Amino acid sequence: MYIATVALCACGGCHNSLLAAGEPFVSLLSEHTISFSSYLFDRRTISPSDVVLATGGIRNHEELEIAREIERTSRKVIAVGSCAVYGGLPGARDREEPPAVSEGAGLPEMLENVMPLDSIVGVELYLPGCPPPPGLILESLKSLEGRYEPPHFDGTVCSECPRTVEVKPVKSWSLHPGCGVPEGSCLLNHGLLCLGPVTRGGCLAACPLEGSICIGCRGPSDMVLSSQLHSMYSDMVKYVTLSTASRREKVEKKLSAVLETIYLFTRRDPVIRAKVKERVPGE
Amino acid sequence: MSNDVSNLEGSEELGGQKVRLYPVTRIQGRADIEIIFTPYHEVSEARFRALEVRGLDRLAVGMPALRVPQVLSRICGSCGPFHQLASCMALENATGAVLPAAAGTVRELLCWLWLAHSHLLSIIYTVLPDLALPMSDMAVRNITGIYMVEQEAVSRLFRIQAAFAEALGTVAGTLVHPAMVVPGGVSSIPDVRTLSHTAELLEGCEDDLRETLRLLEMLIKRDAQMTFTGTTLEGHYMAATVEGVPFPLGDEVTVKPFGEGEPVVLSHRQLLDGMVEAPVQWSYLVPVSLKGADHLLTGPLSRMNMGYGPDTKWADLECNKCVEQWGRPLDREFLAYMALMLEVIRAWEKSRLLLEEWSPAGGVACAAPEFSAASGVSVVDSPRGVILHSVSVDGSGIVEAYKVVSPLQFNCPMMNRHLSGIARKVVTGIEITDAVAQRLQFAVRAFNPCVPCGTH
Repeated sequence: MYIATVALCACGGCHNSLLAAGEPFVSLLSEHTISFSSYLFDRRTISPSDVVLATGGIRNHEELEIAREIERTSRKVIAVGSCAVYGGLPGARDREEPPAVSEGAGLPEMLENVMPLDSIVGVELYLPGCPPPPGLILESLKSLEGRYEPPHFDGTVCSECPRTVEVKPVKSWSLHPGCGVPEGSCLLNHGLLCLGPVTRGGCLAACPLEGSICIGCRGPSDMVLSSQLHSMYSDMVKYVTLSTASRREKVEKKLSAVLETIYLFTRRDPVIRAKVKERVPGE
Repeated sequence: MSNDVSNLEGSEELGGQKVRLYPVTRIQGRADIEIIFTPYHEVSEARFRALEVRGLDRLAVGMPALRVPQVLSRICGSCGPFHQLASCMALENATGAVLPAAAGTVRELLCWLWLAHSHLLSIIYTVLPDLALPMSDMAVRNITGIYMVEQEAVSRLFRIQAAFAEALGTVAGTLVHPAMVVPGGVSSIPDVRTLSHTAELLEGCEDDLRETLRLLEMLIKRDAQMTFTGTTLEGHYMAATVEGVPFPLGDEVTVKPFGEGEPVVLSHRQLLDGMVEAPVQWSYLVPVSLKGADHLLTGPLSRMNMGYGPDTKWADLECNKCVEQWGRPLDREFLAYMALMLEVIRAWEKSRLLLEEWSPAGGVACAAPEFSAASGVSVVDSPRGVILHSVSVDGSGIVEAYKVVSPLQFNCPMMNRHLSGIARKVVTGIEITDAVAQRLQFAVRAFNPCVPCGTH
């Protein structure tokens, strides 16, 4: 099998997560051939590959060309990370003016907006996360060898979180844990706007486990994605209203104020944008 | 991505030709090297160009300040935790939040673990192929090429990496963008069982660390005679320090010349005020220098030049051995690779010291920051060098302005001067062979550039 890795508009975190898989990853690679990987390998041209692990969204014309070349030369593509799957953080706002550079300098021009990978490339497997855990990337790669079923997590971060939720009122809401949250107790119960209830699982609730809020880096759960009646915002309103015995209007008002933070990683995704448009006036 | 060294584009500039080596491989991010020739086909200049920009620092403006550190962690997939830390510290500086003692200790432990893990990935995937197979064909000059013929040496390194990865997973939850560091402290304090498991993991690394160090010493000694030109680094080196000793969370920044001259010690605010940004038309990266220090080096080799201090005896001893062997200052590019390994050892020693002297787990994790209109600045010395964050917030805790300066911005002027010097020695015409391309890329990799970090 010819394996390639390609980074587009990315921070390198997904690649580092893959590299951190360590010896099992290198052992797997040594059974196959690396066709291209600027992180691992000195070859400079993209050559035909059976599997491409592509990270990052598409933000400039160079990345657009690379994506088109992947589409032309690859059999199966895994979109690794939320930038590749949804456009990620670089798409959280509309394009701003890039730094001034000389037109004749040959630097890639910026596109109007960040695009998810599947705007250009047919994607076989989606692996959201910022970044996806090392083991998850490795399992995905193995699945395309035909050894395993691809990993799929249709539950939410909450379903993997050992903290226990109680129905009780919350005095105020925050993005900060204050002096810390007691072990075992749900962050929402302490007024922390944790996005665990609406975010796809598979990360073993790593952030809530350490007392930090989930910021939704793995994007929406299947429930949110698969129905016109659900969105991250509307489901979050419903969940918070129920778990805190609050008035729905009050919760809506609070969450509207931090709406941008709910869609930090997913704003450029066409499906999500449609849902956002439906649910939030003025968006 | 059609370029190949055998398929280079030439274009007219300055009366001569321009050759592009694209992409630079085995670095973080996407970049090229542009070599500009005189009309007589001699190298005029070689320059490293960043080809991407994301603008995450601009994304922070208008955002609730408490959300910003987790967002800015995504500036870099390698030094992300250090950006997160720098962002928290800038907010703490702005709000006057006082860090609880236990939180400070957890942060320090995390810094050493992150630093070691980041360096280990660099050693495995970047350094080892360059040192073990410098003259080999590009098809095998990578970690799998080494793994197939020298599995035990690679497995040894992976065992160390796995131990640090597990330690980080145990203490911080995730490896790459952990959420644990928050403005005012940390989100939780590890319990006794976590700490003792971490100590056990680190204890088990000692033999593998010794063997790996010997291997790198041997390879560097061999390659120094076989591969490298006599080019030395010139300018100033810089690190965050405490009383002159490098420390990731140091409250001062020390700048020393490679040649004659006295060191200068700056506060974080003085560093911000003394910076000179000089945008160029040919790269998305904005180079940064200091008034009176045009060419700066920050990162592992800078810290190695300053010395590690007596509390990390093993790292200090090995550092002194390097000085005996190569002379002071340590100003040759390949020593940057040795510095990575010595910093892994230093981080290992520091982590173990912290775990041994750990005061009872528990305690206050965090001080909740209270916002008034203010600005703050912070410096953190990350695996790749000095990171600076500067923030202004309004009275309701919304970010009004944000600035990030990354190691590659500081290193860029020195790296390009060094790259030009190497290019003048090894490039003999517009046909760039693989050996020449490899040599030019080595000159770049010695600075361990991270493009996403550099352009944010």
